[in-house]
Amino acid sequence: MVEQVSPLGSAWTPGRHGNLAGEAGVVLSETRPGSIVQAAAFPGSEKAVMAAIAAATGLALPDGAGGGVATDTKAVFGIAPGRFLVIDQVEGLADRLKPGIPVETGAVTDLSHGRTAIRIAGPQAEWVLSKLFAIDFALAAFPLGAGRATQHHDVLAAIQRTGPDRFDLYVFRSLARSFWTMLVHAGEEVGCEVR
Amino acid sequence: MLITCPCCGPRDVAEFTYQGDASRSRPDPASTDQAAWNAYVYDRVNTAGAHREYWQHSGGCRSHLVVLRSTLTHRIDSVRFARDEADGARRRSGSPA
Amino acid sequence: MSPRRTASGGRIDRSRSISFRFDGKRYAGHPGDTLASALLANGVSLFARSFKYHRPRGVIAAGVDEPNALVTVLRGEVREPNLPATQVEIVDGLVAESQNRFPSLERDVGALNQLGGRLFSAGFYYKTFMGPVAGPLKGTRFWMACEAVIRRAAGLGRAGHAPDTARYEKMNAFCDVLVVGGGPAGLAAALAAARSGRRVVLADLDPAFGGALKWSGELLDGEPAAGWVAETISALAAMDNVRLLPRTTVWGYYDGNTLAALERVGDHLRDPGKGAPRHRHWVIRAGHVVLATGAFERPMVFPGNDRPGVMLASAAGRYAAEYGVLPAERFVVFANNDSAYAAAARLREAGATVAAIVDVRPDVSAGARALAARAGGELLLGHAVADTSGGRRLTGVALRRFDAATKTLSGEPRRIEADGLAVSGGWSPAIHLASQAGAKARWDETLQAFLPPQPDAGWSGAGAFLGHASTTAAFADGLAAVAALDGSLSDAVDLPASDAPDLDAAPAPVFEIRAADGRGSKAFVDFQHDVTAEDVRLAHREGFVSVEHLKRYTTLGMATDQGKTSNVAGLAIMADARGMAIDDVGTTRFRPPFAPVSIGALAAERFGELKPDRLTPLHDWHVEQGATMYAAGLWHRPMIYGHPGETVEQACVREARAVRDSVGIVDVSTLGKIMVQGPDAAAFLDRVYTNLFSTLPVGKARYGLMLREDGFAFDDGTTWRLAETEFLMTTTTANAGRVMQHLEYMLDVVWPDLKVILTSVTDEWAGAAISGPKARAVLSACVAGTAVDNDALPFMGIVHGAIGGAPVMICRLSFSGELAYEVYCGAGHGSQVWDALMAAGQPFGIVPYGLEALGTLRIEKGHVTGAEIDGRTTARDLHLSWMLSKKKPFVGSAMMDREGLVAEDRLQLVGLVSLDGQALNGGAHVVEHGDRTLSGSIGHVTSVCFSPALGKYIALALVRGGKTRHGSRAFISDPLRGRFGPVAIVSHHFFDPEGSRMHG
Repeated sequence: MVEQVSPLGSAWTPGRHGNLAGEAGVVLSETRPGSIVQAAAFPGSEKAVMAAIAAATGLALPDGAGGGVATDTKAVFGIAPGRFLVIDQVEGLADRLKPGIPVETGAVTDLSHGRTAIRIAGPQAEWVLSKLFAIDFALAAFPLGAGRATQHHDVLAAIQRTGPDRFDLYVFRSLARSFWTMLVHAGEEVGCEVR
Repeated sequence: MLITCPCCGPRDVAEFTYQGDASRSRPDPASTDQAAWNAYVYDRVNTAGAHREYWQHSGGCRSHLVVLRSTLTHRIDSVRFARDEADGARRRSGSPA
Repeated sequence: MSPRRTASGGRIDRSRSISFRFDGKRYAGHPGDTLASALLANGVSLFARSFKYHRPRGVIAAGVDEPNALVTVLRGEVREPNLPATQVEIVDGLVAESQNRFPSLERDVGALNQLGGRLFSAGFYYKTFMGPVAGPLKGTRFWMACEAVIRRAAGLGRAGHAPDTARYEKMNAFCDVLVVGGGPAGLAAALAAARSGRRVVLADLDPAFGGALKWSGELLDGEPAAGWVAETISALAAMDNVRLLPRTTVWGYYDGNTLAALERVGDHLRDPGKGAPRHRHWVIRAGHVVLATGAFERPMVFPGNDRPGVMLASAAGRYAAEYGVLPAERFVVFANNDSAYAAAARLREAGATVAAIVDVRPDVSAGARALAARAGGELLLGHAVADTSGGRRLTGVALRRFDAATKTLSGEPRRIEADGLAVSGGWSPAIHLASQAGAKARWDETLQAFLPPQPDAGWSGAGAFLGHASTTAAFADGLAAVAALDGSLSDAVDLPASDAPDLDAAPAPVFEIRAADGRGSKAFVDFQHDVTAEDVRLAHREGFVSVEHLKRYTTLGMATDQGKTSNVAGLAIMADARGMAIDDVGTTRFRPPFAPVSIGALAAERFGELKPDRLTPLHDWHVEQGATMYAAGLWHRPMIYGHPGETVEQACVREARAVRDSVGIVDVSTLGKIMVQGPDAAAFLDRVYTNLFSTLPVGKARYGLMLREDGFAFDDGTTWRLAETEFLMTTTTANAGRVMQHLEYMLDVVWPDLKVILTSVTDEWAGAAISGPKARAVLSACVAGTAVDNDALPFMGIVHGAIGGAPVMICRLSFSGELAYEVYCGAGHGSQVWDALMAAGQPFGIVPYGLEALGTLRIEKGHVTGAEIDGRTTARDLHLSWMLSKKKPFVGSAMMDREGLVAEDRLQLVGLVSLDGQALNGGAHVVEHGDRTLSGSIGHVTSVCFSPALGKYIALALVRGGKTRHGSRAFISDPLRGRFGPVAIVSHHFFDPEGSRMHG
């Protein structure tokens, strides 16, 4: 397969930015998973779609809106009623999901090119994200594995907490460079390391 | 103003798009009753007080919601998925477009 | 040693010195000083010139309520005007200057305005800036010409022109309890809430928490209160569930318990951290808010009450106790209540002389008498200050007997020399945030103050905010506010007992001392806007009796301090003039912001270009090729790929000609793309499009038109059937978001029974259109896995294959009228596929083309875009009635046949050809007659270009009667740009009307 070109281009500037004192408050990276796929259920078929996701990825989704689970190589979380974002480091996930989700049950939509995955990790990740998004990032309100669909002005973002101080953000590819630049800027106060 | 989305929880109003009066009802698609269509498309009461209205959580799960809001105080008494509301349910059983 | 600095005491760090400049002169102060306290310590008494009269003014307050001492702080070339000197912390290298004076504060020519007092009375704007009713200077014309001069003479500081390079940020916060104000009430509430495990935010506008406890000198359980404050703050700071926000002004209370606050992060730092913001705009969503915002002391209104040296009693005491500064050497204290006696004692203890305490009341409490004894000096009960003397600094006061019941002065004036007059006219709780939250304040006759409204579920109050002045009451209120949240008093919080004396909280109902003959000095109510007691009475005489009218007519309370020191006195004087109670006169509602907010903080990270850039996968290639980029909504698109020396039109013509002659390639990645999936996908499209899609075979595309519910045209595009239950819809670039929301609305609200999933996939696909007679040859040269000949890929057909190793989907459709294909691939493969297409096109001289050529090609073909689908045109107006299916209802079908929408004289799409060889203008009118006026307008021009195919300037236009005018002549008229010329009205199909080229 042909490798995907990153949308970040010259905005990806590895190294330390802003505050240079001590440990970097946040570390930013583009994770470039092979597959980002939306699995959607028609009302009443949510369980069937969750089962199909489990069969294709081995990830068991908890019940409830915004629930999710993440491993080192795979992740899934709810982004809307009956809609899940499923991520796999390996390409071809859409084809693996389709057999389990027949037409009457829901739909599989490949977004592997359309969304860009940005990871923000570090002790100040909640602080930096709170500059841009009006949602509560505290662990009690946003538990491990959970997902949120939110926005920063024109930028829609699906966000999953994949660690106590780590979040993976999925934004529209066309806006990724602008958003990345803004995220680096927001991180400079606490020291931002780009990898 | 905060709107408590049934899917996403309380969110700032900036994440939502106002989608109009939810007390109107759309005539049967094949209807040629111009008065009914006119009322659906144009007539609005401009209520002072409790108002049923559609909001889309466009900056979140993108669901359309039926919000019961006081236009005098911005107090919100209920938020439900538009899909679950009576209007939708009525159509679910009935007429195709 | 500075002339006014006390020998010891205060919360300043005397071991370190800070150097700063005010009006060019160098001064020194200590860490902990404000600009006001440091200047007072240096013996400065003149801080500013007043708004209208340019009177010399000193500092009146010690906090955010300061109306007089406004300064401009300079950071390099950047000027920040109108900051109260009481709110500016000094930092090494600070440069500040005074305002509203020329040439200097000491010698100000504007002070002549004092002689024109009558001219500047209430409503002078409305009375003065009027001219004759007729003639060249009629109305306000003369004064408009004078505006620049008048504006310089009147008003506040000057904003700078240099761009502000400081960084501002926004922060979203969530908490269970937000405590506003870090005095005793706020600290008690914060402790109780934090110990109960709640997430707490505690904000205070001062650099340090504690309120008056920091400096009041009172003992808590026998220890200095300041020690308890320090212990409490370190306990709170150690808790994970507490966020402390010093230097943070909570300024707005909005719906849903959302509050706005401004944190001054870096103003007090000489070297702010790299990347650190100067100000942070907090948006705090709080489960509950405890308002512990304290109270503002009110001045009294009396003749000469604005001379430098007259200040609030609490402020004078605070300067002495907190900053170790004596604002004056010899004070007279003038009060209508007990609180000023504590200030008097404090001044005495700091080393000042208290010559006299003057009180309008005939008798005072034992606690007050004890404090008076500590302060020393005469106690003159039943007296009032009748006038003051002095120029740039107070020299003395004139006292007379005063009857508080009749509010009249009597007896001979007695003069006392003093350079300081400490005044207290009672206290006004800082109810601003509660008022913003919606409820109405209520007047309390005992406290002579507007108290906060009854709390609602979102907030409660505590301490001086409720009119409870003592530390003991403040502690109890703070605990109670939190206890009320779950109905139990927390026993985890043990608060110490205060030794403060019992004082009478009720002031005498005296707001103004009025000279009987009306001849004394001016008596100011609103210092910042120079509104006098006489102005209020004049407004009353002229009929402005409602508080709202009073405020606007006199501008009382409308300055940057929003009347913190003046509102109540203004209302009291109006009430007196009307013979009514203050309660019946009412008060105005407070609106955000509580205190001025930097605009930079509100803009936060959205500086410079406010919108993010939306870039296609080919953006970098376009830029490398020297394309001139054009902003279309958020998107950046190539306008032309200009060669050196080419004009835009020349480049456009070259690019468009290449498409007609050989082959061109254009980036169409910005088109809106929506995946429509599900068993009811086809039925859904039949309902939202005017034409049928259920009949479209798999592997084919169809052009579709959408209407709005009201029957007008909405958007158009092609939709591709990728599988039985899967369609890829394309929309115009501009309407992509609106179409998505429209479809989601219909599915959620109108047809929830349809099983359809909609997903925005605009960004999933990169798109390139290959157009021109050689387009097929280019594709054949690079596509693998599929044939692209006419049989395999007929018009509107779709095939799948690979280019440059990446999977592609190719649809044969044409916007240019040429043989053309749209090639879609995964966005991440966009640049590889584009490079492969360019390489394959090389032998055919492939030319990349931009929006200008794209527009030219479509205008030649008469295709419509947003310029024609402008929300006022119908399908018939655009000659698209062939797309209106009669076999089914669809969105808009019921409304599109309304009388007005099918009228024959509607504006309809036509083509125009310029007959004078000159370019046509978009937006120009089409007129029937040969004169330039627009009275004969029959329509307007929507899109224009030079057509290389025709060799003429052409346009699309909407013209009344449309087709019936084909073959006739008219004119275009554009008076704004001076264009007038003859045109021929023709069919909008300028080029290849049979479409033989694209089907070839």
